[in-house]
Parts: sequence; structure tokens; C-alpha cells
Amino acid sequence: MTTTSATSAPSATRHLPATKDLWVFVLGDFVIFGSYFVIFMVSRRQERDLFIESQRHLSLNIGVVNTLVLLASSWFVARAVQLTRDGEFDRARKLTVGGGLCGLVFIVIKAYEWSAKIAQGHTFPSNNFFMYYYMLTGVHLFHVAIGLVFLGVSYVELRNRRRIAPVETGATYWHMVDLLWVVIFALLYVMR
Amino acid sequence: MTVAQAGTASAWTQKPNIDQWIAWWTIPVFYNIFGLIFVVLTRVMPPPRPDITQTQIVQFFVDHSLTIRIGFALLMFFIGFASVANGLIAQQMKRMSISPVFAYAYIGALVVGGLPGCLIPAFAFVAAALRPDRDPQIMVMLYDWCLLSFVGSLGCFCTQNMVLALAIFLDRNDVLPKWLAYMSIWMIVTELLASPVFVFRSGPLAWNGSISFYLGTVVFVVWEFCMIRLLYTAIKKQSPSEQIQD
Repeated sequence: MTTTSATSAPSATRHLPATKDLWVFVLGDFVIFGSYFVIFMVSRRQERDLFIESQRHLSLNIGVVNTLVLLASSWFVARAVQLTRDGEFDRARKLTVGGGLCGLVFIVIKAYEWSAKIAQGHTFPSNNFFMYYYMLTGVHLFHVAIGLVFLGVSYVELRNRRRIAPVETGATYWHMVDLLWVVIFALLYVMR
Repeated sequence: MTVAQAGTASAWTQKPNIDQWIAWWTIPVFYNIFGLIFVVLTRVMPPPRPDITQTQIVQFFVDHSLTIRIGFALLMFFIGFASVANGLIAQQMKRMSISPVFAYAYIGALVVGGLPGCLIPAFAFVAAALRPDRDPQIMVMLYDWCLLSFVGSLGCFCTQNMVLALAIFLDRNDVLPKWLAYMSIWMIVTELLASPVFVFRSGPLAWNGSISFYLGTVVFVVWEFCMIRLLYTAIKKQSPSEQIQD
């Protein structure tokens, strides 16, 4: 009922997706990750040659695949929110499952990538570049795991109570995880 | 005359939730004493460098021998204050529409963390400060032991924050706002990032590192301020006649 009025007069019925509480988390998490990125850039400046040399050992292809997997999951989750708002809960639920499966694929790829790096002898204490590599991707992976819990909550809500706010909350959290990965991907794999 | 005095005395003690307010006031008092002990007297915060020489470590204990012992002697008296604050938080958790198992787990998790987070470091430093003339190798060990335990034990508080976050998420009485639960997830992340102090002797993940120590401390201070403020609101809103589950 509010969808028509929202499109015609967006300023009057401006709606913040998800809850305010989650936005406290998202914005604060950006500040915390922002601090990691600044600290990373300072270290990189001090040991530029080492960072560029170590970066060659990372597989850009695996990084790209992981980025695409997460972007696809975000698309699933965003579509699920639109369908939830339109009242198509069953389809929204299937797309939420799709988003969650992409998240699982991301974790599996990351586990493969880590084990490959460890087999090549590039471990956490090897040098400062790999220290940041394991730390940033590890903290991010922890966020992905929490994100799967959020999507699980969305799924249950879509099945039982069919409220929109928890679905938006899960989606907002998931997009945050996606956005953080894009920056981590750029810093670790791409930046020369 | 005596009647009037008795009247005012009982009026004071019968203020709504006066028991909880007494407990609440121990928190700012405790953290000020805590700061005095760990920052000013015993020099554990901010942590001294992990990458200094044996001579410098011995010199550190010679320089601060007296204040380390005074500081940790004070800690022995005041460490128990923390349990009053934790009791207050656990009691507020029991007001939530959840099983009290979360409140019990909250207290238990803090007991686990308090041992390596406060007492083990205290006795390592006190032992070193008592005889600064002993074998320098042993001094290095006590130095490592104190600071590895003090910073590296932050992971012990993950359970505390996880239990608190879960309790707030599941609560339908809105005793504490949901954003505090989200902030507790930041706490878990910064606590996980303290364990690399077992691996690195310098850099951002060492025990005096920008990520392991400083960022974690900033998040903790923000969280603690919010917690104190929200406890104030929670007690204020609580009706003195409210029944709390056993």
C-alpha cells in the first residue's frame, strides 16, 4: 500500500531499510575496517617492494572468482528484498538460499586458496604482506560466517512470520560484507 | 528529632532501585582505579615494547619496581569491584525475555577472563619487581609472561560478548537496545585479533600493536561507555516492583 506513495513522493515517506541498530553496526564496522586499511597502507608504503613482490604469489583469478561469487550473492539477496516487499515470500526465500549458497562457495574457495598458499610456504608469519593477507581475509571471512547466520534468520522469517524488516536487515548486513570484500580485493590483489 | 532523622534515613534507603544505583556507581569508580593501576602505576597499559633487549627489560623493572608493587597491591583490593558491575549486568539480563542461563554464562565467562587478563599478569610483574637483581633471562620470561597473558587473553572475553549479544537479540522486553548487541560483535572481532600476539614480536599484531592493542582498546572504551550509559537508562526505566525471574 505504501509502495505507490513511496514512488510518487519519496521524500515524504522516506524509509530507512533495516533497523537503525544495524546501521550503527555497519557504519562502525566501516570505521574499524577503515582503520585496518589505513594501517595496511602505511605498512605498504614502508615496504613497497616486499608487498608488490609478495602480491605476485596471490592468484588474481581466484580473487576475481570470489568477487563475482559475492556480487552474485548480493544480487540474489537484493532481489529477495524486492520480492519480499511485493509479498512473494516463497520466491524471496529461494533467492535467499541462493545468496547463502554463494556465501558458502566463497568460504570453500577461500579455504582452498589459504591451503594452497600455506602449501607454497606463504604462512601468516612469513612476512608483513601475508600477515595482512591472512588477517584481512580472516576477519572478513568471520563476517561472512556471521552473514550466513543473518541470511538464515531472513529465511526463517520468510517462512514463518513474513516480516520485512529482518529480511532487509540480513540484506544490508550482506551488502556490507560484499562491499568490504571489494575493497580488500582491490588492496590485496589488484593495487600495484 | 530522632524520629525525623530515622524518617530521612529510611527515605534515602527506600529510593527506588537504590541497591542497583549503588552497584551502578561502582563501575565509574572501578574503571578510574583500574586506569590508575594499569596506566599510571604498573605501566602495563599501553604495553611496553615486545622487541627490546634483555638489559632494557631489566632496567624497566628496576625503574618501576615500587609502582608495580603498589599498583598490583591496590589491584588485589579493587579487582573484586568488577564483579559488582558484572552482577548488575547479569541482573539486567535476567529481566530479558530469555532463559537466565545467559546471565549465568555472562558471569562465568568474565571469571574465566579475569584470571589471565588481570591476576596472572599481576603476579608475573610483581615477582619480577620483587627481585630485579635475579637472572636477566628469568626477568625476560616474566615480562613476556605478563604481557602475553594481559593482551593475549582477550579472546577469553569472546564468550562474554557472544552471550550478551545473543541475549539482547532474543530479548523482547527491550531492556538493552539491539545496537549494543551489534557493538558486541565488534568486540568479538577485536578480541579475536589479539591472539596473533602469540606469533608476532613487532608490528600491528604484536602485543603493543596498532590493531591488537590500540584498536581493540578504543572499541572496548566506546563499548564500555555505551554499556554504562545504557545500564543507567535501564535502571531508570525499571519499576521497583518488577518481578525478576529466579
